[in-house]
Amino acid sequence: MSLVTRRTVLTGVAATLAAPAIVRPAWAADTVKIGCLFSSSGTMANLEGRLNYITKMAAAELNASGGVLGRQVEVVVTNPNSDWPTYAQMGRQLLQEQKVAALFGCWTSVSRKSVLPVVEENNGLLFYPLHFEGEENSKNVVYLNSPPASSVLPAVDYLMSSDGVSAKRFFMVGTDYVWPRTINKILKGYWKSKGFSESSWHEEYVPFGFSNFQSIVNQIRTFTSQTGGQPIVVLTVVGSSIADFLRECINQGVKPTDIPVLGLDMVEADLEGLDTTSLVGNLNCWAYLQNAPGPRNQAFLANWAAYVKSSNAPYSPHVAIDPMVSTYDGVHIWAEAAKKAGSFDVPAVRTAFAGLQFPDPSGYTLSMTADNNYVARGVFIGSVNAQQGFDVLWQSSGTPKPVPYSPFG
Amino acid sequence: MGSGERGPAATAVLIAILLVLVPLMGLHLLGSVGLSVYLVNVVGQVMCFALLAMSVDLMWGGAGVLSLGHGLFFAIGGYLSAMHLLRTAFAKTHVLPDFLQFMGQTRFPAYWHLFDSLPLTLLAILLIPGVVAFVFGFVSFRSRVNGVYFSIITQALTYTAMLLMFRNDTGFGGNNGMTGFHAVAGLPVGGAGAAVLLTTLSTLAVLVALVGGRLLITTRFGRMLVAIRDDEPRLRFLGYDTLWLKLSAWCLSAMVAAVAGALYVPQVGIINPSLLDPSLSLEIAVWVAVGGRGGFYGAIIGAVLVNVVKFWLSAAAPSLWPFVLSLLVLLVVLVLPNGLTDLSNRSRSWMADLGRGLRDSGRRRPERGAG
Amino acid sequence: MARMLKTGALALVALVSLLLGSSQAFAGMDRSAIVGLLCGTGSHAVMQGADEMLANLPTASPADLDWARAVVQAFSRRTLRCGGGGVGYIATSGGLIDAARLEASPPVSSVLRSPFPNLRTRAALDRLTAAIAVLNAPAPEARLAAVGILASHSDLIPPALAEAALKRTRNPRVAEALRGLIVLQRLHAPDIGQRVAAIRAMSENATSRTENELKSLRADPVYAANPRVAAALDHGIAHVRLWVQVGAVLSLLYNGVSAGSVLFMSAIGLSIIFGLMGVINLAQGELLMVGAYATYSVQQIIRMIAPGYISLYPVVAIPVVFILTGLLGILIEWTVIRHLYRRPLMTLLATWGISLLLINLVRVFFGTQNLEFDTPPYLTGGVAVVGDFFITWNHLAAIVFAVGAFTATLALLRFTSIGLFIRGVTQNRDMAGCIGISTRRVDMLAFGFGAGLAGLGGLALSPIYNVNPTMGTGFIIDSFMVVVLGGVGSLIGTAVAALGIGLVDVGIEPFYGAVAAKVIALLLIILIIQWRPEGLVAARGRR
Repeated sequence: MSLVTRRTVLTGVAATLAAPAIVRPAWAADTVKIGCLFSSSGTMANLEGRLNYITKMAAAELNASGGVLGRQVEVVVTNPNSDWPTYAQMGRQLLQEQKVAALFGCWTSVSRKSVLPVVEENNGLLFYPLHFEGEENSKNVVYLNSPPASSVLPAVDYLMSSDGVSAKRFFMVGTDYVWPRTINKILKGYWKSKGFSESSWHEEYVPFGFSNFQSIVNQIRTFTSQTGGQPIVVLTVVGSSIADFLRECINQGVKPTDIPVLGLDMVEADLEGLDTTSLVGNLNCWAYLQNAPGPRNQAFLANWAAYVKSSNAPYSPHVAIDPMVSTYDGVHIWAEAAKKAGSFDVPAVRTAFAGLQFPDPSGYTLSMTADNNYVARGVFIGSVNAQQGFDVLWQSSGTPKPVPYSPFG
Repeated sequence: MGSGERGPAATAVLIAILLVLVPLMGLHLLGSVGLSVYLVNVVGQVMCFALLAMSVDLMWGGAGVLSLGHGLFFAIGGYLSAMHLLRTAFAKTHVLPDFLQFMGQTRFPAYWHLFDSLPLTLLAILLIPGVVAFVFGFVSFRSRVNGVYFSIITQALTYTAMLLMFRNDTGFGGNNGMTGFHAVAGLPVGGAGAAVLLTTLSTLAVLVALVGGRLLITTRFGRMLVAIRDDEPRLRFLGYDTLWLKLSAWCLSAMVAAVAGALYVPQVGIINPSLLDPSLSLEIAVWVAVGGRGGFYGAIIGAVLVNVVKFWLSAAAPSLWPFVLSLLVLLVVLVLPNGLTDLSNRSRSWMADLGRGLRDSGRRRPERGAG
Repeated sequence: MARMLKTGALALVALVSLLLGSSQAFAGMDRSAIVGLLCGTGSHAVMQGADEMLANLPTASPADLDWARAVVQAFSRRTLRCGGGGVGYIATSGGLIDAARLEASPPVSSVLRSPFPNLRTRAALDRLTAAIAVLNAPAPEARLAAVGILASHSDLIPPALAEAALKRTRNPRVAEALRGLIVLQRLHAPDIGQRVAAIRAMSENATSRTENELKSLRADPVYAANPRVAAALDHGIAHVRLWVQVGAVLSLLYNGVSAGSVLFMSAIGLSIIFGLMGVINLAQGELLMVGAYATYSVQQIIRMIAPGYISLYPVVAIPVVFILTGLLGILIEWTVIRHLYRRPLMTLLATWGISLLLINLVRVFFGTQNLEFDTPPYLTGGVAVVGDFFITWNHLAAIVFAVGAFTATLALLRFTSIGLFIRGVTQNRDMAGCIGISTRRVDMLAFGFGAGLAGLGGLALSPIYNVNPTMGTGFIIDSFMVVVLGGVGSLIGTAVAALGIGLVDVGIEPFYGAVAAKVIALLLIILIIQWRPEGLVAARGRR
């Protein structure tokens, strides 16, 4: 009796696991699948969840214009549950079981590092939409966003110029992991090369999800009051810590005109629920801002608002952030490359990347070269406005060449 | 003791054959039909979880001590095996792992060289968690911290370890952890060979643990553990030194968890401090509770069932999984206090009742409280 | 009346002088030149324009001041439009007006640029706004606030400005503040007496910024040469240093106490439930979260039915949240917990299941994003006290709230019959049952009470932390540590432990960072529990 149950359980296990593989290929002939690795639960859900929808939206656009190479694009959504090994797990499933042509996924560096060996083993293609620490160049990953040397350094340069605030002293606050630490390491190298001494900067790291910034903001006030030139804060905390930090700044009366905050991971969503009138003037820096000028952006925003409404997505139709546009760009770049290659095979698609161009909502025309899988993007510096958004304070004249490995690292 | 008391050795042997069959099937049918590399890999991971659940069951079902910190030992095993894999990868590629480069190191710190040798690594996988468990268990059990207190403190312990490991300065890769393994025993990681090897090893480990555990609970030591679970003060009063009994079971349990971790990490290809997250440790307890405590069968069934449903639902209906899990937990706790083994007990007695009912339809079924 | 007459006369005189000698007004403020600079490219030109305007403000006519205010406001609000050749316009609802003359402009054909205030020009615009306000703002409070802004940049303000403003005010408080500003600006005056007075005035405002500014004065040869000034400077620095240090200690204490209050509010409900039933309620953090969401709902309802009273929502929410989460607690107790007494480890799993369920229910109904709270004015900002010690209202509110909750709970346990029952059941459940207390009912009420307190915790946390479905998970381990360290069943122990952990955490943080602070605090707790398994304040009673 008990024996039978146990065998049934095990057979059941195998059957359940095998089921998707057996059922799916039935309609594989006229569709091509792409996979999403964005969490819809757990700590990353608020940020990553919307990227599932944007991928579907981009796929719907492709399908509306006849699909890619005559095939309709089908988006397979998974939920890695904000758990890093699960990203690898899901990635493996998408590649091996679902036979997806490309993966779009990951927000944090650690999730990308977790999926990296999987895409390399299976010779898959992962489109990664976040700006990150660089220092990586896999032929199986398309880095849709800018590495620090081509995004952060221009922003810091701007703050150090007389058009900015002639910054002379730097307070770095970051979450304790590789992205902030690498950024800060590159920045320190950069400042050293500009002749600044070690006494002109200060570094603090906080754990993930840290929320009590009382002491740190106290320290920033003390730092501001010291002599030696205009100070700025380079903020590399991530997630909910950003809003907690900003709230404490508001309450302790730290003003952007005294010490501006350059929030490298700060997006519109972080300002939700804050009274931004006393934050006006703080900065962020991305390859896309919602207020980017141009008709392409207007069209994109209208499209997103309509899509949120029609798909009943639990996200604001009025907020568009850089990773959303990057993901959107990724889907289109993949489609363009596949069309150019005339095939969905990864090696063919990869070869087709060289020389590819895509005019994206930011107003820049993105391009890729044969050197690496990085996408050249423009740089925007945004300035917080009173409507919980970012105005474009400065934007680069062209798309700087992406430099995966920083010379200052 | 749940289903344990009925299970004759024959059942164990049959289960053993079944369990060994799985990877063999994979090996045999690798290719277009049958178990793909992906599924073999999933089976292997689930086996690691089953082993982990058994280690928790040894303490919970055995001695009535619930650890909510077994993720710590699992992670220690994982980190140690990751260190060995990184050393072997380095021997091939001569590229330093990026977290060390990033810390400004030009070569491995001296103690890493210990992990060049597989036997030394295996020894470390048993010894280090054993020592950690011994120190922690000694101070805790000696001050007679038990019950929910012990559970909470173990949870705080793994939480503390997680905070520490998240720091980059601790030196084990911080949040990004360790990744970029090359080969397991010469077989490329992620390939079919490695997947089958690791799955076979994990399954064998579960079998060894099952057989060993079943034998253990029939010994005097096992019976003493049960006595501790039922009434520790009385046992102490009778002159038994419960400290050493509990401590040895605790250390053994930690070592088993570490072995599970050591087998798990090469299969997923990454280790980072999220394994130390208290919620994972809690989930292990859920597996055991779902399957049924005591006797190890329940732990295996629970771990397999919950994880398979999880693997399946996370792909099929991502937002549904948390609801299913929470309702499963409530169902088990309220209706099947001893997990799924209750179900088989009940169905057995229903069968008996049915038979009896056919003979004597007038008699009322005996009450079975939810406990 | 007389004052009105006088103001009227002044305006008339100004107008007449403007009409008669436009050359004089022109010399005072070259409007088109300034607009040209403000509309120039690069922040250098803008800064020049702003400096030009600032320098001319002390002698500006009322009409010029009004013009200056209109232009500065237009720049700050991004309604300034710039055409080619440095011609500026202001966009209004009625169309473009010429920025130099403030008259309707003929239609403009060229493409207009809207200059963006960057950080540097924004600071200049803020100073200009304050400088104009100090001269012509109608309300004395506005002038006073403007003097405050000018005083923090006294080196960038023309000395004549304060003198001019002094002449134009009759309010004694504004005059007093302006005189203070004048004294401050004489730090580099040739007269030694004035310098000493300036140093003294500066040392009054004892902050580390003042300390650094005073220290930098030592480099000035005049200060080194003159013993009187040197003595005043040394004295000033010592004075400021002392108060800065006092402020630093107070700051540490304040941060520690407020962190402790937050911990206490997250642990108080748990303390009751755990103490009474020995039940580990892993859903405690989620009850906190539900409390915060209930607060949010109250805010939304008030916004809908009585938008004028929106700032009162935290007060209205107190009873609502307490009752709602209390009822939820009773529901949990009634459906789940009561079936699991004497099986504490199972309760633990069950409450974990409940917490997972609550998180996901809230996620489905409210979404995952952080909630937007309308922080009432009395919970935003704060006040500088001494040195760099700054009291922030939201943390102060948390402290007050925690003290209130502590006192109320203590009173309830000590002086009411239900409190007596709860204490009785906590100390000896069987005996309490024997003397006729319905332990089941007490359990239910106490669980509801503990849940209600957790909900209040959520209310207290909502102005400090981000409110989202997973906010509760961050509190669970910390609050358990508090309860276990304090001693199960002892409310006072919980308070002591919360304060202790808060202070240790905050005390270590500046030296070793936040992670190390947390790790050290946790290790300390684990050690202390080894040494005193009963907790710091052991509850009386048998268990």
